[in-house]
Amino acid sequence: MASKIVTFTLNGRETEVMVKPLTTLAKALREKLGFTATKCGCYEGNCGSCTVILNGEPVLSCILPVEEVEGQNVLTLEGITPTEGLHPLQQAFHENFAVQCGFCSPGMLMISKALLDKNPHPTKAEIAEALSGNLCRCTGYDPIIAAVQQVAAGSNGNQGGSHE
Amino acid sequence: MTTQAYFRPRSLAEALGLLDEHGPAMLVMAGGTLAMPLINKGVSRPEKVMGLRQAGLDYVRPVDGGVHIGAAASLARLRAESDMPLLAEAVKNVAGWAVQNMGTAGGNLFAPPPAGDLAVALLALDAQVKVASLKRGERLVPLAEFYTGFLTNCLAADELVVEIQVPRPAGKAVLLKYGRLYTNTPAIVTVAVHLVAENGRTRDARVALNAVGPHPLRARQAEIALTGFSLDTAAIAAASRAAAAECEPYTDPIASAEYRRRMTGVFVQRALAQVAA
Amino acid sequence: MSDQPLNTVGKSELRRDGLSHVTGKTQYIDDIQFPDMLYLKMVRSPLHHARILGIDFSEAEKVPGFVRAFTYKDVPKNLYTILCLIGVGPDEEPVLAEKEVLYKGEQIAAIVAQSEEAAIEAAARVKVDLEELPAVFDVEEALKPGAPILKPWGTNYFVYEGHPFRRVRYGNIEQGFTQADYIVEGCYEPKPIEHAPLETTGCVAKPEANGRITVYTNTQALYFSMDNTALILNVPFNKLHFVGGTVGGGFGGKVDVIVEPIAALAAMHTGHPVKYLYTREEEFHVSSTRVAYRIYFKDGVSKDGHIVARQVTSYADSGAYNRHTPYAVTKHAANISGPYDIPNVHIDAHCVYTNRVPTSAMRGFGVTSASFATELQMDKIARKVGMDPFEIRLLNAYRNGDMRPYQKVVGDATLVEVIQSAADMAHHPLGERFQAMNSWDRANSPARPEPVSAQKES
Repeated sequence: MASKIVTFTLNGRETEVMVKPLTTLAKALREKLGFTATKCGCYEGNCGSCTVILNGEPVLSCILPVEEVEGQNVLTLEGITPTEGLHPLQQAFHENFAVQCGFCSPGMLMISKALLDKNPHPTKAEIAEALSGNLCRCTGYDPIIAAVQQVAAGSNGNQGGSHE
Repeated sequence: MTTQAYFRPRSLAEALGLLDEHGPAMLVMAGGTLAMPLINKGVSRPEKVMGLRQAGLDYVRPVDGGVHIGAAASLARLRAESDMPLLAEAVKNVAGWAVQNMGTAGGNLFAPPPAGDLAVALLALDAQVKVASLKRGERLVPLAEFYTGFLTNCLAADELVVEIQVPRPAGKAVLLKYGRLYTNTPAIVTVAVHLVAENGRTRDARVALNAVGPHPLRARQAEIALTGFSLDTAAIAAASRAAAAECEPYTDPIASAEYRRRMTGVFVQRALAQVAA
Repeated sequence: MSDQPLNTVGKSELRRDGLSHVTGKTQYIDDIQFPDMLYLKMVRSPLHHARILGIDFSEAEKVPGFVRAFTYKDVPKNLYTILCLIGVGPDEEPVLAEKEVLYKGEQIAAIVAQSEEAAIEAAARVKVDLEELPAVFDVEEALKPGAPILKPWGTNYFVYEGHPFRRVRYGNIEQGFTQADYIVEGCYEPKPIEHAPLETTGCVAKPEANGRITVYTNTQALYFSMDNTALILNVPFNKLHFVGGTVGGGFGGKVDVIVEPIAALAAMHTGHPVKYLYTREEEFHVSSTRVAYRIYFKDGVSKDGHIVARQVTSYADSGAYNRHTPYAVTKHAANISGPYDIPNVHIDAHCVYTNRVPTSAMRGFGVTSASFATELQMDKIARKVGMDPFEIRLLNAYRNGDMRPYQKVVGDATLVEVIQSAADMAHHPLGERFQAMNSWDRANSPARPEPVSAQKES
């Protein structure tokens, strides 16, 4: 089978990418399209670093064939970073020292955004459950949960960010 | 070798046709949470792959108080749409949010222990699996007969799992999963119990276990120890002992066989105590 | 001297790379792409201990995209040890195995190909002919006569200035035991721990037009890696340009020099950028772990709670090669008597080789293992003597002016105050005389036993 062209909406823009069969979304984003904010810590769907948002739901891009997002909406960290300033979650992560080496951060930010979009005022237990598929070896998780709680407490329902 | 073809059939008929044409050399997947890691690592190098997301198998249909679950229905969909608390509890304990979004009800049947906890709930609820092939049509297999060993099942080479049928639960059911973490953790042991009472005694008992054998299994001796008796401390203790004795736990990096066996007794006891309460 | 306002001291400073991290703009090794980049995959030993009889690349070479294979013959200076730069020797670890492999996962041959899939496929098709040898996995077994010998100098231990272990001798241990009312023994075995950083170990080596090699690496030890690479490749140091600084989690797991030399060699020979990035499986199975120890304590304790004699025999499992473990064991030996003033100390700290994955640095290496052991032992002593665990530590804690067993005088001690603060924070009441203790005199302590040799002189 020859390579095929997959067309999908990426961060609000219609995007085409040519891929060999079964190329993952992570590989398409990172190597074909140059969107390297999404990270791959394991390539086996275990660490959560590659989390992106597909039609409003978090998915693991390192194990998702990009053909499966044909015609659909993909949101990555690049898509929530405003031209100036920071998304409230990015600001909160930075201020709460929820970021150390930074490798898990894109995945953590995306799963946190997915959570707050569905549940703007989650309990600590709900935050912990939602983020439980994302591993971090640096922070011990508490600063990350505190950052999400801070945004949840401060939000008036308007999450800001672009290309949603 | 790199995969040469990725088929995405738009109907069950098309999927069965592809399976018939390409045979066992073609890897079948739905959510990809089991197959793609192996492909990424180069452990599995299938020339052809078929993905079932578009094949009309993504549904959760209430039927006569029970539910028919399309094999490619996501675990998250099952959790959200099924009104059976036992199934929701089982899905809640599968990995993390993103895996629940991507993994499917049918696919989870193929996840080897210590994963694959959906089957524990399904076994406790007497689920049946509908399988289909192009040449022989459909047949129903009780889930209790689906597994034949570690990573082996009763499917013929040209058969697909297309649906899981769960009858209306007649009694009280509880599922408990014990892992090293509260969430996103492989099981030390997972227990599901489903008891139907009549005149103060247990008429039907189902005790299902995972991570203490080559596949999710029914603890038959534990069920016998409960059937016909009232659900009192003695019966619960007898059933726990029986479950611990009859399971076939193994040692892995998560837990030793000995610990798994002891925890089987503990968690069967706790699950039954919750039913009794 | 004027009072200047403090701009940073006492304030929380946000990370200077935080903005880059939260916007996904930080570049990690796997984010680096070059159009003509090649991929390196390593052929590894499937056995714990074996002789290499031959390697057959013929099937690997047929894989479309195969570029080159490298063996030890291609490496200018194949044997090294990371800390040779600070005088730790000898060189005993090969970049690529020569005649023998000493651990499961050891590097045997490097395959370079045009795509990652081709490199994986080609590496899988390399046939290595191995003769299995007996393996040893236990530190004490490795020191027994008859154990398979792993090192070219004929033993399974690192030599510390002519001795088979790191030694600390202070006072007179046998006489110290005669002064004890109790003997308290214990054995403590901290296990290997994998760092498991989210970003796996890796680098991209790129040949430049001016003849230099640029190596983008996530090592924690940029100079170690650059200098060792130069020595291994036998090139002047200024031929290399190491670019690093962003480490996607290290914790000591990225201080070994493993990926850069072979990637740089491959870049030199192929004329292309070469990426060598561990898979998650390699990170778990092959990358170094924290050192595991088996530590035996025999303490002599007086009935008023003083430790009058401490004898420790410690075995560090270095795995198959040195890495940082010989250095760790030196620190371990210094710290294994604990932060306590003990008049008679006898430490033998062995650095032992086994056929396990080489161990190396991890947060506080050498010392965390010592603390684990000394503090469990202290609790055991407290139970034996019938003393409160905080108070027995305050009693034995070193003060300013004390001589440590390795012949250094204590200055700037604050241990007593720290223990008192901890007790306070834990709402753990202390007896009056313990509350009154301090780090600069023993006004509130009973006289402690002198080292035996000092007694003899008086």
